Amino acid sequence: MLKLIISHEARQIARTSALWSILVLLVGAIIFAAWSGGRSIERQVVGAQAATEYEDGLRHHLREGTKKYAAKVEAEGGEYQFAMVRHAPGSGPPQGTNAGAVGAETSKFVTLPPTGLAALSVGQSDIQLNYLPVSLATTLDVTKWLELENPVSLAVGSFDIAFVVIFLLPIFILAMSYDLLSSEKERGTLAMILAHPISVRELMASKIISRAAVMLAVVLSFGVIALLTVGTGLDTADTWIRFSLWIVATLLYSAFWFALAVLVNVYGKNSASNGTVLAGIWLILVVIVPQMVSMLATTIYPAPSRMELTIAARQAQTEAEKNAMAKLDEYYYDHLEFVPEGDKKAMDFLTLAQANANSIEKAVRPLYDNFQDQLNKQEELVTRFQYLSPAIMMQLALNEVSGTSADRYEHFLHQVYAFHVEWRAYFSTKFLQRYPLKPEDYDAFPEFEYQEEAFAAVMNRLVPSLLGMLILFLGVVLVPFIALRNYQVAAR
Amino acid sequence: MITAIARKEFAEIVRDGRFKWTAAIMVLLLLTAMMAGYQKYSTAVRIQQAAQAGTNEQWLDQGDKNPHSAVHYGNYAFKPAGPLSYFDSGISNYTGTAVFLEGHRQNFSTGRPASDQSAIARFGDLSGANILQLLLPLLIIFLGFTAFSGERESGTLRQVMSMGVTNRQLLWGKALGVGFAVTIVVVPCILIGTGVLALAESTDHAEGMFMRVSALTIAYVMYAGIFLFLTLAVSAHTTHARTTLMILIGFWAFTGFLMPKAASEISKFTHPTPAFGKWMADMKAHQRRGIDGTPPFVKFAAYTKELFKEYGVNSVGELPMYFVAVRLQKLEEYDYPVFDQHFGYIRDTYTKQRKVQDTIGIVAPTLPLRSISMALSGTDMINHVKFMTDAETYRRNMVLKMNDYLSKASVHLNETFAADNYMVADEEVFAIIPPFEYEPPRLAPMFAAHSSNFAMLFFWLLLSIGMAMVTSNRISMERN
Repeated sequence: MLKLIISHEARQIARTSALWSILVLLVGAIIFAAWSGGRSIERQVVGAQAATEYEDGLRHHLREGTKKYAAKVEAEGGEYQFAMVRHAPGSGPPQGTNAGAVGAETSKFVTLPPTGLAALSVGQSDIQLNYLPVSLATTLDVTKWLELENPVSLAVGSFDIAFVVIFLLPIFILAMSYDLLSSEKERGTLAMILAHPISVRELMASKIISRAAVMLAVVLSFGVIALLTVGTGLDTADTWIRFSLWIVATLLYSAFWFALAVLVNVYGKNSASNGTVLAGIWLILVVIVPQMVSMLATTIYPAPSRMELTIAARQAQTEAEKNAMAKLDEYYYDHLEFVPEGDKKAMDFLTLAQANANSIEKAVRPLYDNFQDQLNKQEELVTRFQYLSPAIMMQLALNEVSGTSADRYEHFLHQVYAFHVEWRAYFSTKFLQRYPLKPEDYDAFPEFEYQEEAFAAVMNRLVPSLLGMLILFLGVVLVPFIALRNYQVAAR
Repeated sequence: MITAIARKEFAEIVRDGRFKWTAAIMVLLLLTAMMAGYQKYSTAVRIQQAAQAGTNEQWLDQGDKNPHSAVHYGNYAFKPAGPLSYFDSGISNYTGTAVFLEGHRQNFSTGRPASDQSAIARFGDLSGANILQLLLPLLIIFLGFTAFSGERESGTLRQVMSMGVTNRQLLWGKALGVGFAVTIVVVPCILIGTGVLALAESTDHAEGMFMRVSALTIAYVMYAGIFLFLTLAVSAHTTHARTTLMILIGFWAFTGFLMPKAASEISKFTHPTPAFGKWMADMKAHQRRGIDGTPPFVKFAAYTKELFKEYGVNSVGELPMYFVAVRLQKLEEYDYPVFDQHFGYIRDTYTKQRKVQDTIGIVAPTLPLRSISMALSGTDMINHVKFMTDAETYRRNMVLKMNDYLSKASVHLNETFAADNYMVADEEVFAIIPPFEYEPPRLAPMFAAHSSNFAMLFFWLLLSIGMAMVTSNRISMERN
């Protein structure tokens, strides 16, 4: 019987022009979203490449200088020396021999590679710069850069597949199913159908199953097509594991909206009022609650002001400069082994600059950490309040699945900080020892390779969102399931 | 007759549960948004003023040093919040708030508030503007979609027509009734908002606060009118109330949620924003190469020759100005056209993108309204660009004045140029540079830039009224 009803429903759905227009719109939106998501990720990759190539080119140029110099020293004899003056004149040792100059004037770009699914959910990746210049400068200088994008576009957000799934899919689902029972009732066909050996529950289930099957078949098949066209790393297990999690999340989220439509149909009055109620619920869950939670988070844990941070960093710099000599002493006190022979205090510019950077770093670091602390607290609050809205859960889940979440970026930042320390140590040590960089030293510069987060860490953040959606779905679906036993066909 | 219809419509709406709920939610949200916005705004104003005063003091108190070193120490420009940013935060969460003004480099603004917010901030800001742009249309739809189709379903439309009411009277009566119901929800909130405005001390640094508020009101009233008449038009056209609702909600989601994002992606396609890394690498390479292909040091060598000829001297020592300072300033100036070209390219791209997005407003009236609202609240790109331009002008002046001073005051050092032989200036010299002050853009050019958006809204209003008149005219006894 159920089969019969489903096939009947499917035939009926197939003949409704409204349904076809909804499906066409949905498919169009998915294709557009995949295309624009793909462009967004591609741009990041292009930017990272260009920046890396440019800075590597600068270092290559310096290395060429040292090669020529080495050849000259070899031919003419003498000592391979260190360029004491930063802007080395033509005849002396080239600037490439000075580790301080190489470390300060060229940057090493470190890159956070996108996951295979990044194009499906751009998430925060459009406001986080995924390639950062590491040099002898302070942490602030490393992290202050922003990706270029029209702020208006950033404010409205990306038209990616996550948007289609979170915002549009519920509208389409509700448009298809807001009048499941009410329209039959209004047309007077409900009583007739129920005269057959079928319960309201079965009827409802078959209606929903046929609609869900059509809708999800479209979403999932175009999801796969999107992945195959704009996804990357298709030969890695990671991508496919992420994609199956994407499917799970999408199924749970859609299931919730179908269940909601059933719930409203059971308790609702006529089709028009069902429509009003569902549109209202959509607005509240997808737009208002997330905005409220966001407002709550930024009001309870406001980020410290960047302006105040700037002023504080400045104060530290001024003091450092005013006490240049004292700071230099302090600096050498930390590195007694580097005090140059002969003169007790090397007053050259780079040493001073480094001593300054060091003291600024020391002064600003606690302030800077404060930003991350507040951000983490905001994220925590959002994690706790996400259960108020399936849209928040879904957004967090998709950001995690696609590797465009704030947490993965923080994981990246910690590696950048560690690498920054390594980079600084390498170049400042060589510089303070007045060690002349040789061409072969250029191969031994520290290298950065992003270490992907442990999968368990991702799951730890993902599971609460998925479970939350599952529980919400079960809660919503259970009520009509029980209530439908006593459904009155006669108009109330 | 019109008033009788209006009164009936109004009474019916107000007695409906829909009205109470939506009105309550709307009022609550508007008030919350305005209050939160105002609180954020006043904090922002306080911090900005303190920071700008602080950086000016730090500039003067940076310690005695060479004027050019002072240029390296530099100064900061901090962006003040837009005069109505508590109503419409616009792009202010997504632009930097501070620009470092230093020698040799033109910098971007840094410190973007969105970077310090959690991921769900991307769902948007709960601001007064957002509520009026998204919730107000929905309120109108909810209150008005049954105006014709509901009566048609219940059979009363036929009765009303039989009483000799003209179609036009019916339309305007209903428009008046629904419009009045919407007004009594929204206007108290606006009045409270204006009260907040009176409290705000923002009026002192923005021109024409009255003009801004009036123009904003006109724009939002037009926007509300568009939805009112569209609702009536669709309601008169459709047979079932549920169809009316589906079409209207579909359009609402299309213009309020789908099109802003789609328009942004389309504008990024027609005028792609360069990736930061690519742009930066291109600009740095261009700087080295020189604007016209002649590297700066080659240009400077030629300039030196000219300079020697001009003063009839043969060595640096004989020049009547400090050669190091001349060199610094010249090299600085060789970069200006490069900066202008590359920074200008981004600015032009953003402007072109805005124009594309505004043009797409032909299918989505939310887009022109959004542009107007941001502009008049002082939180759009035009305002940001003005700030960045002011900051750059200030920077170039600062560099020029310091190098100039050095060039005059250190002439005697020409002959004894050495790394450890330089002049030291003090606070008095640094005081030549006045504190940075930002002048918000004038209203007139802003209106000019957005005149097409006002026209677009007006076009939409006429279109919706026309549609309502056509569809309501088709209503007849026979067909109902």
